[in-house]
Amino acid sequence: MNDDAAARLREQLTRSPGPLRLGGSEFAPQRPLVLAIVNRTPDSFYRPGVTWDAVAAMDMVHVAVADGADILDVGGVPAKPGPEVTVTEEIRRVVPFIERVRAAYPDLVISVDTWRHEPARAMCAAGANLINDTWSAWDPALPEVAAEFGAGLVCSHVGPQRPRTRPHRIAYADVVADILDRVLPLAERAVKAGVDADRIIIDPTHDFGKNTWQSLEITRRLAELTATGWPVLLSASRKDFVGETLGTGVEDRLAGTLATTAVGAWLGARVFRAHDVRETRQALDMVASIRGERPPVRALRGLA
Amino acid sequence: MIAAAALCPCPPLLAPGLTGQEEALPELRAACAAAVARLLAAAPEVIAVVGPDERTGPWPPDGRLDVAAYAPAVVRAAETAGAGGRPSLPLSLGIGALLLDEAGYAGPRALHGVAQTEPPAGCLALGREIAASAARVGLLAMGDGSARRSLSAPGYLDERAAPFDAAVERAVRDGDLAALGALDPELAAALLAAGRPAWQVLAGGMNAAPPETKILYADAPLGVAYLVATLVPRP
Repeated sequence: MNDDAAARLREQLTRSPGPLRLGGSEFAPQRPLVLAIVNRTPDSFYRPGVTWDAVAAMDMVHVAVADGADILDVGGVPAKPGPEVTVTEEIRRVVPFIERVRAAYPDLVISVDTWRHEPARAMCAAGANLINDTWSAWDPALPEVAAEFGAGLVCSHVGPQRPRTRPHRIAYADVVADILDRVLPLAERAVKAGVDADRIIIDPTHDFGKNTWQSLEITRRLAELTATGWPVLLSASRKDFVGETLGTGVEDRLAGTLATTAVGAWLGARVFRAHDVRETRQALDMVASIRGERPPVRALRGLA
Repeated sequence: MIAAAALCPCPPLLAPGLTGQEEALPELRAACAAAVARLLAAAPEVIAVVGPDERTGPWPPDGRLDVAAYAPAVVRAAETAGAGGRPSLPLSLGIGALLLDEAGYAGPRALHGVAQTEPPAGCLALGREIAASAARVGLLAMGDGSARRSLSAPGYLDERAAPFDAAVERAVRDGDLAALGALDPELAAALLAAGRPAWQVLAGGMNAAPPETKILYADAPLGVAYLVATLVPRP
């Protein structure tokens, strides 16, 4: 496909911005959403094992909700390479937890970070509302699962990378064009599979199939993704591109994460995957007020 | 003749939406609404609004507060064009016009700015002129007490501020028009008490006989003294 044809196809696959529907909730385009990370793993990259214990995980849910999380993102398999997590084990880690969260919060939107359709089906049956398919349709059966349960779907981009691998010398002529050419057809395919178009999110997927330069580039050019009209997920929290950019370890990446969050919000991203819910909510509220879309909580200075 | 008069302060925060998600000072808003309601209950032929301004002179009666001058985003959110194409009023008259709008008053209005530097004699004379303009005039005098009531006040703390405001409140409560007329313009200016000229217009407009008075609000929660009161001549 030449450049003009690709551009025309992208044009055809855009939509007009509308509400994002997840579970029984409907979120207006102006409302930025915080997707709070709850890992049911012993070995995720940030604070590994902190919510491995079910009680600790539930405690984190309570805190995340109180801190302003709109959606939970529950995962049972770390993104990085490591010991195999079977389908059975992934279900064992995540499904009972979803049932517990669903019982405690009947209306909370629950996302599941998974890439295989068997766990996805069990999780949706347990009450999950959104499938966060971080590995970019490695399993082509996920849209059918989302459609079957009326769930949403995240359409992501990982380039040529396979699940649970690290990027190695991945090059793009134009990384943003590559993302558009991947996620827009995925969104279209999901709609054809029966997924409600208002429940589909696209994700450029920072760090996945990208080096730091490429993740910075997609952040800088995020407006090209938001211009498609599809809700954009920004998943940057404490990732390596932040660490490499600032020369900091995972414990010292909050400022870089929030700066990325602010830029993403300014450029129109609508969902923000976060470890630090309270800080992310504050950063998003601040950006919304700068944009003039959210009044200050209390403005008295100079007005008395 | 003044049929009834109301005193209200004029902080920008009285404009809808200006304090953000929270409508600050609900008691003050309620008191202002009650004062204006009392004014309307007197069935005036015209309502004259007086308030401090850069110079003494009239403003077009269809003028409105330019909210965008204080909070551009509030106006954008409401999709209104600031004063809506109408003339932009100085703050005091703009808040006065807003209070009349909020009370649903659609009758004739006359808007008079009074210079902060207008000497008492000029204020009193303007009051008499306004009183003589119709058989039943409702007078809405806009003005604040000292903005130096606390360390966190806009004008920082001045120890003379509280006694000054207390004296004004007492004069209004007692219907002591002479005391209002005698307020010291230099002290008022030093204390950032912007209401002085409007109060003296009121003093000039009312009859010499002490009116029936009611204080609806007298406090300085943000370091600026707000006084809301009604004054109605006795029959």
